[in-house]
Amino acid sequence: MADQEQQEHEEQSPALDSPVPGPTETGRAVSIARLLHYECGLLMQLYKEKESFLSSFSPGGGRMVSPSPVSLEEASGEQRVERLHAALRQCLGLLHCVLLKEEEEWGEQEEDYETLKKNVRVRLEHLLLCTRGLLEGPDTALEVTPDHQGTEEPDGARGVFGLKVWTYRVLLELHHWADYAAETLHIFHTERGGTADL
Amino acid sequence: MPHLSVNRSSKPNCRTVWLISVLVGLLAIHTYANDVLPVPQQVSLSANMDSQQLSISWLAGAATTFDLVILRTELDETVLSETVSVMVSQLSGRHEWNWTSVEPLECTSLSIKIRSREGQTTSEWSNTEILQGSDLPSEENFQIFPLDKVVPVGANTTFCCIMKEGNQFGKIRYGNTDLISTRLSRRSYATTVFNQGLSSSSGSNVICYDNTEQLITGVAVFVGYPPLPGDFVCETRDLTSTVCLWNERRDTNLYKSRGTRYTLNNRPCALEWSRNPQKEYRVANWEGKWTLVAVNALGQYSLTDSAKLSHRVNPVAPEHLTSVVHALNATVLWQLKYDGYYSLALVCQVELTSQGYKTKHTFTGVGLRSAVLPDLYPYEDYSVQVRCGAQQNFWKWGSWSETISFKTSSLVPESPDMWVWMNKDYTGQVMWKPLTRRQSRGLMTGYEVTLWSPEEHLQHTEIVPLDIFAVPINLTQIATVSSDNMVMATVTAKNTEGVSQPASVLIPLRLTDVDPLAVSRAVYTDQGFSLFWQSDANATFAYVVEWCNASCKWNCLVDWINVAPGNTNVSIESANFQPGVRYNISLYSSSSEAPELLQRWQGYMQELVPSSPVMSLLTTQQDSDILLSWEQIPLVSRRGFVLGYNIYMSSGSQFTLLANLSDPGSRSYKVKSMPEGSYKFTVKAYTSAGEDTGATASIMLEPFTDRLILEILASLGVTALFLVIVTFICYKKRQWVKKAFYPDIPEPKLPGDWSRSQAPLDVKPPHHSLVHMVERPEWDSSKEALVVIPEEDEDEDGQGIGEALADTDEPTSLRYYNQVVDERPIRPRYPDSSDSSASSLDSARTDVTYTGIQTSGSFVFQLDSHGSSEGHQPQADPSFCAGGGGGYRPQMQSRVVSDDTGPASPNPYPDPEAASGGGYKPQSSWQMDSPVEDGEGGSRAPSLGSPTSIASTQFLLPDGEEHTEEKRQPSSSAATWLTNLLSSTKP
Repeated sequence: MADQEQQEHEEQSPALDSPVPGPTETGRAVSIARLLHYECGLLMQLYKEKESFLSSFSPGGGRMVSPSPVSLEEASGEQRVERLHAALRQCLGLLHCVLLKEEEEWGEQEEDYETLKKNVRVRLEHLLLCTRGLLEGPDTALEVTPDHQGTEEPDGARGVFGLKVWTYRVLLELHHWADYAAETLHIFHTERGGTADL
Repeated sequence: MPHLSVNRSSKPNCRTVWLISVLVGLLAIHTYANDVLPVPQQVSLSANMDSQQLSISWLAGAATTFDLVILRTELDETVLSETVSVMVSQLSGRHEWNWTSVEPLECTSLSIKIRSREGQTTSEWSNTEILQGSDLPSEENFQIFPLDKVVPVGANTTFCCIMKEGNQFGKIRYGNTDLISTRLSRRSYATTVFNQGLSSSSGSNVICYDNTEQLITGVAVFVGYPPLPGDFVCETRDLTSTVCLWNERRDTNLYKSRGTRYTLNNRPCALEWSRNPQKEYRVANWEGKWTLVAVNALGQYSLTDSAKLSHRVNPVAPEHLTSVVHALNATVLWQLKYDGYYSLALVCQVELTSQGYKTKHTFTGVGLRSAVLPDLYPYEDYSVQVRCGAQQNFWKWGSWSETISFKTSSLVPESPDMWVWMNKDYTGQVMWKPLTRRQSRGLMTGYEVTLWSPEEHLQHTEIVPLDIFAVPINLTQIATVSSDNMVMATVTAKNTEGVSQPASVLIPLRLTDVDPLAVSRAVYTDQGFSLFWQSDANATFAYVVEWCNASCKWNCLVDWINVAPGNTNVSIESANFQPGVRYNISLYSSSSEAPELLQRWQGYMQELVPSSPVMSLLTTQQDSDILLSWEQIPLVSRRGFVLGYNIYMSSGSQFTLLANLSDPGSRSYKVKSMPEGSYKFTVKAYTSAGEDTGATASIMLEPFTDRLILEILASLGVTALFLVIVTFICYKKRQWVKKAFYPDIPEPKLPGDWSRSQAPLDVKPPHHSLVHMVERPEWDSSKEALVVIPEEDEDEDGQGIGEALADTDEPTSLRYYNQVVDERPIRPRYPDSSDSSASSLDSARTDVTYTGIQTSGSFVFQLDSHGSSEGHQPQADPSFCAGGGGGYRPQMQSRVVSDDTGPASPNPYPDPEAASGGGYKPQSSWQMDSPVEDGEGGSRAPSLGSPTSIASTQFLLPDGEEHTEEKRQPSSSAATWLTNLLSSTKP
């Protein structure tokens, strides 16, 4: 027990001398990102079961979320996380838009689907807080509110069917960026001295 | 035809003129007709895309009948060709006609032209008007129509897909079903879905694919029902405003923007959308009459209601409840929300909840604001809520108020319910039932048990903690055992408020070993054991019904209930009743006197099969019977009333029912007349629940030896008795017997003077008088023969002979032993050998004594005369004739006498008289094959001429028959004994 406390003290000690977050915060962020990725997968699966035509449908249209381009090879860890944070804000904006549009169209839907949607929203907001905590310094003040910059409806489909396709694209985008967040944060975590086998 | 006359001579061109006139006339008529049927002008199209309705209007004067043609412009296919009657609209002054298209109007362009018609006459076609579709080259996008349409369940809907410019059509799917499509234009394809079922809440998808199935577009279609509201009613809660309520009796399957919209008295109801079918809408004033209209995309439905305000008062819940609490009652107070209620006659309901049970109390009053709740339990938790309604023109109860809780005050406990169990030695126990929470009426502290002897003024008190409900007692320590003495047992309960009233039972100091009454059987039903008893009409005492396990005898754990006076029946039920346990149920009087046992029952909650079989099953052999006996099953194992026993005989795994003993008191059963062998018997007792596993006993049935011995002894006894009787008869009839078998031999009458010597003449037989057996090799050993004992031996060993014949009366001079067994039929007896008779006749004095004649019993007296006659008559030698068929011959002087005797009896069949005159009846079982040589036979001659006492000692035994002779020896001895007996009786 004493050894464990000492180890934790040693792990935390660099953070006391530096604004750089320690492995505990990054590790928590990685865990949340992985949980978000898992829940996004579940939500997407549930939605495909609800709208069966999506099982054989691959929407085009490219990425809906497009954070400011940064050369990943040259970017630092903080820059990658900052780009991730921006992307997650756009994802949150899209998710809010989905929630709003679906509520307008159908009101409250099936309970498990509604619950999972809200869980993903809360998890995404939590992850934004975490990433902001990883990046926040004396000179930075990141937003965690939804960014509606990427909100758009797909071409070629209007009405309810268009909304369904667009919702599916949003869910795919969420799943993608949650996966990207888990990967990026894991790298960031290892750069900050965290264990690779987290 | 107008008659037209033409003068040929004066007007030679008349026919030509007539023809011209006719043609001109026809031309004029035609010209007039064209002038009457105007060509439709200013054809105008107006399309409603949602309803797929096309409105066509035109100007056509007074014409009322028109031919309309609608074509798909691109493929020039006729969609409609119809003659219709259309009047001029008074409003617009134009002819107007509506047409609803099966396909969405966007699917492709439509061309419309009209002409007037009157009968067979038509006008020219109007100019063609075109309704532009969405498949124009200018619209290149991938499209599908209709967009998000709402249709009723069962409808048929046609969808069309307009391919993107440059793409080829693939298919149209509805849900998971591929549909058959038709081409409407170069890019437009249509399909129809028939009899549509309910869609999902987000709509059913209709998807159009290109031929690569990579590019898709789609629409959703919502299939539901028109609205169907019900239970529409309006009321007031504040005596001013109106609240109208209704519910949706059917889910329309259309939600949110497609959901049902309502109007109340033509004013839209601003209801927040909800899937809850219960709807409520508030209006500021009371209108007295209301109309509700429900509308959705599929239809509408209206409901009405009307009422006076005073008839529709639904008060709001009372507010701010408070309570004033006592031990046995409480007062609840509340406030009314609206001032109007204070002048309104109200009826209010107070719901009291305690320990999960709810009771309602109703109170009335103008502006009612309080209620007193009586009959509460002390130290009890209660919760209360209140609701009210209008007392006059009651409409409905208002909402329940909030709930308040309170706890009543404490009181001294109730008196415990006590009882006493007494053993038969003045010991026992005082028991009482633990007080319930309500009976405790406060925080319990303990119990107090007191034993008091009024006569001896002795008292013993014991403080008992809360968790003990029985105290052992010994009355001998309290009072002197006497039939008059009594001890009063008292129990009180104590709580924080004080001590309860005492409960007491008077215990008589006399032995209670009385089993006074016949025990009845109690039947258990769904309500428990139902007990009935007779009651004295004057009886004022109460009863106590006590029950306990019948197998318990000492300090039993009993239970009891009190029965009010006057009752004559009760049902007892207990959670402790167990199946298969016999309970003793006793009815006692309960008064100021000592309890008296009035009646007793026994019963089972549920009878089971006995848990163990009968005890000590024994099998006992009784002759050829088998007696089964057993002991009854112990009470604790019976588990039901034994109704009887089944007796089985088992062989292997098979059981054969021998008997059913319906008497439960049976303890034995006899299986009769069983042959020897091994048997196994099983006895099973049975109750109403069935029979037990059974007790088994085996037995090996032994032969009955005693009986055999008895039979032998009885046979011997009978034989002995027979012999005694025979002997007695022979003795009584000895004269006859003698006459018949041993007649007196007449004394010979001798001529002349035969002086007798004084001394008896003892004649010893000469040696030559012996019978000499001649060995014949050819003799058949199977036949009888004479056995000869050589006289020489006798001479030499005379002593030995004499010993062997111990029953001889006197020294034997000559003895005959006849041991010949004649197998031939028995023949009547004939006189003895004539030879010997003749010899005797000729002798002067012959004292012949035959002793030791040994023969078979039947042989001596039952000679077969036929056998003699048949077997020996032909023989020439007369010496053999008399003995024909006999087994021996008497010894004779063979050589000396033979010559004399030969002619003496020439007749082989001598006269019986003569024979009898011979003096004795020699054994004459002579056989033809007797080993007698002719020579010797011829030399035989009776010894005549002198009185001779002849004794023969020869044994006449057949060779090779030793064994047979040994067997026959007893009978021969008996015959000898009989002969001697008869001889001894000779006078």
